[in-house]
Amino acid sequence: MRTALHSEHNHVPGATRVTPGTAIAVRDLWFAYRDAAPILRGVTFDAYAGEVTMILGESGGGKTTLLRILKGLVTPLRGEVEILGNPLKRGRMGRLDPRVAYIPQQLGLIRSQSVLTNVLTGALARTGTLRSLFGLMPAGHTREAEAILRTLGIGEKAALPVQTLSGGERQRVAIARSLMQHPTVILADEFVSQLDVVTSREIMTLARSVADQGVALVMTTHELDLAREFADRVIVLRDGAVAVDSPAREVDEAALVRAIRG
Amino acid sequence: MNLRLPPVRPGKLAMLGVSGALLAVLWHLGLADGPLLARGARNIGVFAQDLVPPDTSVLQTVAGAMVETIEIAFAGTMLGFAGALPLALAANDTVSGRPVAAAVRTFLALVRTIPALLWAIVFVVAVGLGAGAGVLGLAMYSMGYMGKLFADAFDDIDPEVVEAVRGVGVGRLQLARFAILPEAANAVLAQTLFVFEYNVRASSILGFVGAGGIGFYLLGYVQSLQYDALMMAILVTFAAVVVIDQASVRIRRRFLSVASHTSARS
Ligand SMILES: Nc1ncnc2c1ncn2[C@@H]1O[C@H](COP(=O)(O)OP(=O)(O)OP(=O)(O)O)[C@@H](O)[C@H]1O
Ligand SMILES: [Mg+2]
Repeated sequence: MRTALHSEHNHVPGATRVTPGTAIAVRDLWFAYRDAAPILRGVTFDAYAGEVTMILGESGGGKTTLLRILKGLVTPLRGEVEILGNPLKRGRMGRLDPRVAYIPQQLGLIRSQSVLTNVLTGALARTGTLRSLFGLMPAGHTREAEAILRTLGIGEKAALPVQTLSGGERQRVAIARSLMQHPTVILADEFVSQLDVVTSREIMTLARSVADQGVALVMTTHELDLAREFADRVIVLRDGAVAVDSPAREVDEAALVRAIRG
Repeated sequence: MNLRLPPVRPGKLAMLGVSGALLAVLWHLGLADGPLLARGARNIGVFAQDLVPPDTSVLQTVAGAMVETIEIAFAGTMLGFAGALPLALAANDTVSGRPVAAAVRTFLALVRTIPALLWAIVFVVAVGLGAGAGVLGLAMYSMGYMGKLFADAFDDIDPEVVEAVRGVGVGRLQLARFAILPEAANAVLAQTLFVFEYNVRASSILGFVGAGGIGFYLLGYVQSLQYDALMMAILVTFAAVVVIDQASVRIRRRFLSVASHTSARS
């Protein structure tokens, strides 16, 4: 049984425990929008289970595009993405791989629906289609969703519509939904960029603890402070390729700035 | 779709051209005929005198016909809705894939090219005179119209919501049920009310072709020159349309304010 909240090691329910190692391997990705010049030109890197990997790079450098490719929303011109050693799954009727969770910049929550409904959405890949269409979510999923919400500190908000929540609370809902996927990787675009400093530190601390459970958290950011404090690994995209790929503690800020600016 | 074109600045020549064309067309239609217009004005005077006072003895008859009109509008709207919602989902690229979506859009456009009154004639032929033909005719047109409105509403929802829910690994029906429909719900409700409003007006004339409702009496009173009874029927129609429009506008404004509130980025 999952009684995550009270377990000594504070396991976040939903987070799959995997042995340390490469969670997502990205090999030689090339991408261009229609006839435009390629914006990704041979992107290669690994992100590891249990680590926070932050992707930095100039605005318009292709960070969002890269995450959408890793999620399988966009097909690259060339290159491969592997999750735990096998390629991204493409299920029947274009179902995307649930092992990769994706939190877009504006979170992509359904604002008119309750927090709980939004979080349960995360389990749809493992809910029978017919059941789910009638709104008959398995009781186990509901219990799991409630446990996740409690661990993330918004257990009492479960019944409220998302549109009534604060920015930080919405961020937690998005994390909860992604955890319901039992993800190997969580991709988060500009994850805390719209929060105040205090809230963004709170959320990053939570995100850190999610990663500690063995999830590979890959996020894009513009904030070097955030990278210095919370990243295990930093990757700088420059001119469509990886200019820096290094454990965070081995690069200083000046070097990062130089790599980003070129 | 959201591209805004720069305002058109009509040149002098274009304005002259359009005015000339209008005069030519009026002449062609026989309206540029002084004596005819004078006779028309005189007739309207006589007609207006005959309109008042309205014949209250037909009130019960026309009120009953108006109720039937509203019933036709309601049933036509609801049946149209039942057809439009699944078709609009089928017309969505993400739900059905591009080729199917394009085919469904074309089908909806074809249904829409035939006005409600013509659909009503088709059903009068098919199922016979009466309100049933009116309901089916209105339902067909409403299906085409609402199908298009709903499909556009589905296209307008925040693409990040669709991508986030797709990212979970959902099937297409789940995507419709958990992302597209809840995001577009307010717009869909508001548009359905709008179409109902429109249909009350449309169903007032379905009786012209024998498809039920107050139109039967409107036409009958004109043909039998009972202008005071006609006036009564017009007054009842007018009152019903105004009341329903006002109520509908009010409810719609509620939905739309919720809709714009929920679609605002946080
Ligand atoms: N759907 C699209 N169609 C065409 N071009 C696009 C599309 N989305 C993004 N682009 C272009 O691709 C480039 C990379 O965009 P992307 O959003 O991936 O950059 P980013 O690094 O996330 O930028 P930011 O830091 O500002 O979020 C930009 O030049 C952008 O204009
Ligand atoms: Mg971006």
